[in-house]
Amino acid sequence: MSILENKIREYRHLFEEHSSKIKEKREVEELRQLFFGRKKGLLTLLFEELKTLPPEEKKAAGRALNEFKEEIQQQLVQLELKAKTVRPQEKIAEDLTLPGWKPYWGAPHPLTLFQLAIEKIFVSMGFTVEDGPEIETDYYNFEALNFPPHHPARDSWDTLYINDKLLLRTHTSPVQIRVMEKKKPPIRIIIPGKVFRRETADPTHLPMFYQVEGLVVDRGITFAHLKGTLEYFIKALFGEKIKLRFRPSFFPFTEPSAEVDIECIVCHGQDPACRVCGGSGWKEILGAGMVDPQVFKNVNIDPEKYSGWAFGLGIDRTAMFAYQIPEIRYFYENDLRFLRQFNRK
Amino acid sequence: MKISYDWLKEFIDLTITPRQLAEYLNQIGLMVESVEEIEGDTIYDIETYANRPDTLGHLGVAREIAALLGIPLKIQNWPLTEIDQPTSDFIDIQVMDSHLCPRYCGLVVKGVKVGPSPDWLKKRIEAVGLRSINNVVDISNYVCFALGQPIHTFDLNKIRGSRIIVRKAFKDETIRTLEGSLIKLESEMLVIADESRPVAIAGIIGGEDSGITEETRDIFIESANFDPVSIRLTAKKLGLSTEASYRFERNVDINSAPQAAIMAASLLNRFGGRAARGLLDIYPNQKKSRTVTLRLQRIAELLGVEIPADFVVRTLNGLGLKLKEQKENVWIAEIPSFRVDLEREADLIEEVARFYGYDRIPSEVTPVKHFELPSDFKKEKIWSLKEVLFHHGFNEVINFSFADPEKESLWQTGHQAIHLQNPISSRASILRTSLLPGLVENTVWNFNREAEGVHIFETGKIYFWDEEESPREILNLGILTSGIWPSPAWNEPGKETDFFILKGVVEDLIIYLGLDSLSFEPGDHPFFEPGQALKILLKNDLIGYLGRLKSDIIGAYELEKPAFGAEIYLEELLEKQPKPFVFKPIPKFPRVSRDLSFLVEEGLSYQELWKQLQKLNVPNLESFVVYDRFKGESLPPGKISFSVRFFFRHQSRTLQTEEVDQLMQDIISQLKTFVKIQLR
Ligand SMILES: [Zn+2]
Repeated sequence: MSILENKIREYRHLFEEHSSKIKEKREVEELRQLFFGRKKGLLTLLFEELKTLPPEEKKAAGRALNEFKEEIQQQLVQLELKAKTVRPQEKIAEDLTLPGWKPYWGAPHPLTLFQLAIEKIFVSMGFTVEDGPEIETDYYNFEALNFPPHHPARDSWDTLYINDKLLLRTHTSPVQIRVMEKKKPPIRIIIPGKVFRRETADPTHLPMFYQVEGLVVDRGITFAHLKGTLEYFIKALFGEKIKLRFRPSFFPFTEPSAEVDIECIVCHGQDPACRVCGGSGWKEILGAGMVDPQVFKNVNIDPEKYSGWAFGLGIDRTAMFAYQIPEIRYFYENDLRFLRQFNRK
Repeated sequence: MKISYDWLKEFIDLTITPRQLAEYLNQIGLMVESVEEIEGDTIYDIETYANRPDTLGHLGVAREIAALLGIPLKIQNWPLTEIDQPTSDFIDIQVMDSHLCPRYCGLVVKGVKVGPSPDWLKKRIEAVGLRSINNVVDISNYVCFALGQPIHTFDLNKIRGSRIIVRKAFKDETIRTLEGSLIKLESEMLVIADESRPVAIAGIIGGEDSGITEETRDIFIESANFDPVSIRLTAKKLGLSTEASYRFERNVDINSAPQAAIMAASLLNRFGGRAARGLLDIYPNQKKSRTVTLRLQRIAELLGVEIPADFVVRTLNGLGLKLKEQKENVWIAEIPSFRVDLEREADLIEEVARFYGYDRIPSEVTPVKHFELPSDFKKEKIWSLKEVLFHHGFNEVINFSFADPEKESLWQTGHQAIHLQNPISSRASILRTSLLPGLVENTVWNFNREAEGVHIFETGKIYFWDEEESPREILNLGILTSGIWPSPAWNEPGKETDFFILKGVVEDLIIYLGLDSLSFEPGDHPFFEPGQALKILLKNDLIGYLGRLKSDIIGAYELEKPAFGAEIYLEELLEKQPKPFVFKPIPKFPRVSRDLSFLVEEGLSYQELWKQLQKLNVPNLESFVVYDRFKGESLPPGKISFSVRFFFRHQSRTLQTEEVDQLMQDIISQLKTFVKIQLR
């Protein structure tokens, strides 16, 4: 028996030894490399060796070597198929109740969430969302909205001035004027945004807060439409069962004007010392009314042909009421322990 | 405004309970804010409106209730005990400016015994929240709260020269008021003067040395009407607000002046006073009553409900309007002088609606004829960006738009700040010119309150004067990260946040918007430590900065931990339009990858390498990733190693190994012409 044939036998043993231990596919590949590696593979070396043999030995040895090659190639295929069915040992947790893998997420600001909830309701009714500047002129903030100069009606809108002409808007209503100036009816918009008042801080007042304004202008718009739409809005926000009432009020830019109260969701009128409603059982939530004819005239819309309704609501105060937050300042302190509570909704 | 149930009974026969009354007041818009019971009387604090001066007296409120209940107002009788000497013997009245003082009534009452008020008067005065002083002062308050007409009483004998002159103040004139303060008057202010000096600031407050004292015997009653704007300007300028100025600013009924003077004189009769004969009434330009046309049809059009004509007529008549039917269901309404608010048809429709009851108006859906698309999708885009930030672990905050000029100056934002004329405090006297100072304050606040890490953002406006001295407000996005970044695993500690946590979210924001020309450039900026900041660029447009915040600046806020911040010009970013999106087909043939590691000069940045790699022009090269950057002792000095994995794919067949080998050769030779590389 030639030296080469001896080696073949030796290698067959070696192959069997290795193959009997194989479990994973990776090990099959290692074994293949051991025998067929391009430079140092055992069989590769044997074929190199074959070339050096004298011609009379070459033929028989060559046949034996080729047979051996085919043999282990076939076995490798089998091994590979088998290895596939052998699964790696999986780690099994001893306690499945341990916490899961949770990347840290950021929380939206509650006022953003509340504003979004309001926008969604109106957008579902065909309103579009508009915005406008926070630095305004006296004309847009007051005069065009039918506040005469030096009228006490301005007292409820304490103003932060930049100079004699410019001020920080005290309500989102100037955007009504800006939209009506550039667009012909029908108009169906809401305007959320920041507003500013010269007010000293207390539990329900701050010099800056958020408002949302709504405006509808078209032929044949009535007070009944105002009622129906705002009722739907409030029910969509606070639930079907919430009670509400409309009472007469005064705003220079609407006539007739109304305020809307909703039932106190804290005490339902049962607690005379209720911190939220003061025992009245009602909480004022928004101001509204039919667009004043003078406002229409200021933007060149004919009040004989068109009518409209508008409303304004304080987002902060409504959110305070809905979430029972006692102080408005929480919204602007940005304490993460407060902010990160509002991830639902 | 406080309203007494008992007092209302002087004007109407009330058969309803105090509780019912509160409900009625609410229904007609005189909102009851609180109810109090005092000595058997019920006191309502009602909300009144700037356009309704008539409700600033019990008479006006009684009139509303009477109209609602359909009952008449009681006729009040104020008899006078007179002496046989005309008023003009005691006083001469001269009105110099009939625009600022359209009506002036005066009456003299002699021989009054000044003293404490009787119980009935005290009770009325205290019911409206005032303190009883003496019978004369209390009577003027009583008249004011009964009729809504402020009056003033002078000690007749202290009016020098027996003359009352209504005129504008002289320059540098002064007056010591009843409250004891010395006030310097200005020339546009209207005063009531005697021969030599002002004795009252018209419609606002009386002077001390012409006021009623215990020695006063003879009284001059002033019951006048003043221009609302003039009163308001003077009161504001002097920082005074009195029961009188509050009413005059709101435009008092011009016809209540005589009645109020007589009522006061009649009441003074009860304390020994006897009136001089004849009321002096200076009213040169008599105001005509206004008329307004009202159409029944229009009521239905505006309210959305048909209200019967007889209800309309009854209600408006009850409120003192005189209706004349012009044609069927169209009326000319004559407006009584006390309703200064009723000027247009819409005002009358509101009156009808108020008394009809808002709750009886039906609720209907606002009709919609067409839906409009939003003019842009800015709001939607902002919300998507916020979602990216939430997913990356950033919490949203909202800060005030105000800033402290001293602290803001540390930041050198390069913007000319807008100052407020009347700020609430000097520490909030400008509008912010950057979002980062607010975020730093939030960070400190939270570190002081148990937070281990603060990762926050804000979208909001910054404000400044532009080059043309016009105010600008632009929407920015500020992001800040500092402290510990929490670990997703419950049993592993968090790690210190770093620059790349911030940069990652910035990159993702741009990707999310579908914009693909993002790049960064080293750029020093006053907010950041030198060499630790990048400019954020889209093509060639600067859209913001990010970097490590300067420890000097944040140290001034007592933030000691490293903090990384970014400020992005959101408005500009949102204006960039992404290429329209079209899906890419899923490939049918497999891709082949090859890795290449090479050495480059140490100064070559990742971004520069990336730019060079993008220049490669090799067929079937689908994409590449740089997956390693290495610098170490095993490398020659001054060199770093990059590793890049290239992906190849043919659209219509499987690539052969030899082909890919050739493509890699192409890559290497092309790359060598762009950058000095040395294969490892
Ligand atoms: Zn309550």
